[in-house]
Amino acid sequence: MVQMIEANWIAFALALLIGLLVAWWLFARGSKGARERAHRPDVLDEGMGPAQRNQALIDAPSATAAALTPPPVSVGMAGIGEVIAVAAQDEVEEAEARAADEPAPVAAPAAEPPAPAPDGEADDLRRIKGLGPKLAALLATLGVTRFDQIAAWSEADIDRIDAQLGAFAGRIRRDSWVEQAKFLAAGDTASFEGKFGKL
Amino acid sequence: MPLWLEMQVLMLLTYAAGLGLGWLVFKRKG
Repeated sequence: MVQMIEANWIAFALALLIGLLVAWWLFARGSKGARERAHRPDVLDEGMGPAQRNQALIDAPSATAAALTPPPVSVGMAGIGEVIAVAAQDEVEEAEARAADEPAPVAAPAAEPPAPAPDGEADDLRRIKGLGPKLAALLATLGVTRFDQIAAWSEADIDRIDAQLGAFAGRIRRDSWVEQAKFLAAGDTASFEGKFGKL
Repeated sequence: MPLWLEMQVLMLLTYAAGLGLGWLVFKRKG
């Protein structure tokens, strides 16, 4: 056996060296990393100021929540859009409190002066390209359930509704809802499909 | 035991010895 080691000493030295190298890689580098982790900086190293500011940012309501529920403001100071938004919000909350089993769209349309009251039955708004189930539900809480309501929107109406769509803001103009709704309200399926693709 | 197997076992033992030696050395430093 000794003779074999003597005959192949280079190979054995190499094996020993590789073993040492692996041991160094595992233990020396690993313990160095552990030392670095032991000195991990803390936010409180910079004093209480930054920590308090971060906590305030965490506790603050999100921008989406703020956009969906505008704070009540005095009529003299507010734009008409904000007043309508607050009124719509109050109306929705009242309707929800009155009857949990009654769907909100039935009660909410009263707070939609610019849009014609949906006296007929609701349309399937999801036929509009770019308008999915979530948006349809959101619009229903805003009192929009029919194509002719959307078709009648003015630029100001679009801005007002858009501000309440939260994460979906900008979809109305991007996907040309008003133009689509005009075709759908008129029942002009051929023109709709010619312009926006198959229903 | 064939010669090549004996050789392989010895090589493995040598590698393990190197690993153990390295552990002893670097563990103390770290």
